[in-house]
Amino acid sequence: MVQRSDIAWCPGCGNFPIRDVLEKAFQELPIPIKNIVLTSGIGQAAKMPHYLEVNYFNGLHGRSLPLAVGIKLARPDLTVIAYSGDGCNYGEGGNHFIHTMRKRLDITILTSNNQVYGLTKGQSSPTTDFAMKNPLSPQGNQNIPLNPVALAVTMGAPFVARGFAGERDHLKELIKEAILFKGTALVDILQPCVTFNKINTYQWFKERVFKLERPLTDRYEALKMADLWGEKIPIGVIYRNVNAPCREGKTLFNAEITDDNIAAQLKMRCVMMR
Amino acid sequence: MEFNVVIGGEAGQGAFSVELELTEILSELNYYFFATKNYMSRIRGGHNFHMLRIADVPVHALSGQQWNMVIALDKETETRHKPNLHEMGIYLSRELTTEIEKESREKFKFVTSSNTIMVGVILAVIGVSLEKALEATEPGNREYLKKGFEFADRWKLAGTYPIEAKAGAHCKFDGNQALSFGALLGGCQFMAGYPMTPATSIMHYFATIAQEIPVHFEQAEDEISAINMALGASYAGIRSMVATSGGGFALMQEGVSLAGMTETPIVITVAQRPGPATGLPTRTEQGDLNFVLHAGHGEFPRIIFAPGSIDETIALARKSFELADRYQTPVFFLTDQYFADSVQIVEDDVETEIRRRSYTVFDNAYKRYCLTEDGISPLTFPGLSDALVRFDSDEHDEEGKITEDLNLRVRMVEKRLKKLELLRKDFVPPTFYGSMDAESFILCWGSNKLIVKEALEKLTQEGMNAAVLHFAQVYPLTVDMIAPYGLTAKKLICVENNARGQFAGLLKRELGLDVAHPVLKYNGECFTVAELYQTLKSILR
Repeated sequence: MVQRSDIAWCPGCGNFPIRDVLEKAFQELPIPIKNIVLTSGIGQAAKMPHYLEVNYFNGLHGRSLPLAVGIKLARPDLTVIAYSGDGCNYGEGGNHFIHTMRKRLDITILTSNNQVYGLTKGQSSPTTDFAMKNPLSPQGNQNIPLNPVALAVTMGAPFVARGFAGERDHLKELIKEAILFKGTALVDILQPCVTFNKINTYQWFKERVFKLERPLTDRYEALKMADLWGEKIPIGVIYRNVNAPCREGKTLFNAEITDDNIAAQLKMRCVMMR
Repeated sequence: MEFNVVIGGEAGQGAFSVELELTEILSELNYYFFATKNYMSRIRGGHNFHMLRIADVPVHALSGQQWNMVIALDKETETRHKPNLHEMGIYLSRELTTEIEKESREKFKFVTSSNTIMVGVILAVIGVSLEKALEATEPGNREYLKKGFEFADRWKLAGTYPIEAKAGAHCKFDGNQALSFGALLGGCQFMAGYPMTPATSIMHYFATIAQEIPVHFEQAEDEISAINMALGASYAGIRSMVATSGGGFALMQEGVSLAGMTETPIVITVAQRPGPATGLPTRTEQGDLNFVLHAGHGEFPRIIFAPGSIDETIALARKSFELADRYQTPVFFLTDQYFADSVQIVEDDVETEIRRRSYTVFDNAYKRYCLTEDGISPLTFPGLSDALVRFDSDEHDEEGKITEDLNLRVRMVEKRLKKLELLRKDFVPPTFYGSMDAESFILCWGSNKLIVKEALEKLTQEGMNAAVLHFAQVYPLTVDMIAPYGLTAKKLICVENNARGQFAGLLKRELGLDVAHPVLKYNGECFTVAELYQTLKSILR
């Protein structure tokens, strides 16, 4: 078992409740733990797999998604969850974020979104609010924030949700639903950084978040909802399309390549494209 | 006897198709031949040319002799290739090929059938009987081929360069096809890639066979993604490969390091083309040896193969997946555009037994990075049992958990590097041609093998005292690999397609060998036998 004291997060970090929620969700899901694989990148959130009893491939910064894609294509029987922070999933891995959703695979993407680079000590992340001051943007962040939820809806992800680390039971149900959903699912998790983000605190979120009563199923309505940020912040399933086709990988593991398959290759014409 | 022909034209005019069809039929008719191409980085226009050498003995290189036949599909061919036409040679001028195209359009409604007509002309020139030629041709193309023989008769070309078909049972491959086939034999079932010349046809191969065979090809959004997908698939239990060229490999480097740290088996093909940056995208070079040697931050073992023939490529591609698994480290395949795009036949029996990945199932006491005597920890895959499979890019403990225990760090570094010691004993020896007591040794690696070999044969016939040593494994280089040859007492010549003699440099660093005469070519084209023969002769004299 993981000792709390061995965990590399700051006391009070928003990742602790997310860890507890994940552990509980795994216990409650009708999936054997041996069939669950977590991939992660680099950052404080990306250390998550180390603090759970689960299979994982903790890869490089920004690369949790292509790892997840490779695993899912190779072994469709595994339940694949890519877990990382906002810097990893939306910054360094931003290109992968866009293109992974186009692949229509049954992968769950979870992001601890604290709107700041924690491990490198407080610089702007892709989701940092405009004008927020930090060591590398002493005059205030000059970039407008990336909206991962709106982007996911735009890219055609069939399950897009936002959770909040301060609403554990709600978050747990969201994560379970996302994992069980057949198709690419995103849960962007509002995760207060108690050390570097003095604006988007637990209190700040508590005053603003409201729970959606039911999932939105109209993409354009969902986009409007996804756009809501500031005084009111929606949490819950922002978009769900149960009719979106999900791509099934083919069985490769232990699948036999026959001698006939090989013999046929010897008669192949030379490939023209270079 | 041999017959050398060049077909030049704009991209999209059909020279490519002539080569493809002709090599198919020549193979069917049991001819020895070698075909390669020189093409521009464009889809239409420009000037591409396709070179074929047809002979009554095995040939695996461009002869570099004057052309016996030049076929001009454009004006450029006349200025560029006609000056190198043998005085007795055949010149199919643009006027004549236009006549072919015109009749093709009139008689068959398509200009594309003129490709087959030109194939027919060439077959007639080398003395193939119409009957045999028709038999070897796809039924739909037979009318066109017949027309080609008519043209040959009309222009009195039939049988002017008779070549006997003497090849026995054989297979026909281009370099990329051989590599892909070898990978399949090695149990590779997953490939991810981003198209890049000259590696793209490896992706085409996998995408094509994936329709019928349990393998998967995934086109990635970039090369970073491609290598990470392949590592993910390998982690999940499937032997995996990526293929790219220098620029794409530059993007993959962090993934190479990730494979080294997480000890994930992977095979990485780098089909070289001239750099730096975009360089000459469709030409050849051996300029990325140093790059591949040093790619990826940090210290970890690697193996680099640079095969020199089709059969060696198939055998080593197959072996590379076993080695990647055995040593749990990246294995590189370093080829180049020349090799990738050259079509050759192999008469030797190709070993076609598939090497499947074997695996063990462990209980929940399993430790991914268990410290062992030889540095190799048992590998297994997720979902097979209660054993949790934990890979980590951070320094990690035996279970695969992140650690900053610096004593453990030292043990883990040593564990990873111990594998290098095993690799040093498990090498592919270089191939030797010639006499052991030769005073001069010509060293080479990768695709130059059979060009150098043929040049040596010519030199030996003239009484020159030299031998050839070709390295298909360019890293690690070990003393045992060269022990039989007493190289320190020899005059060493090193033939490479780069400007700085990268392999000679590696021989110096790893084995303390001093190359006296580098023979370098870096204009984007391969060596020809005649050119190499001349250069080597002046050195050996």
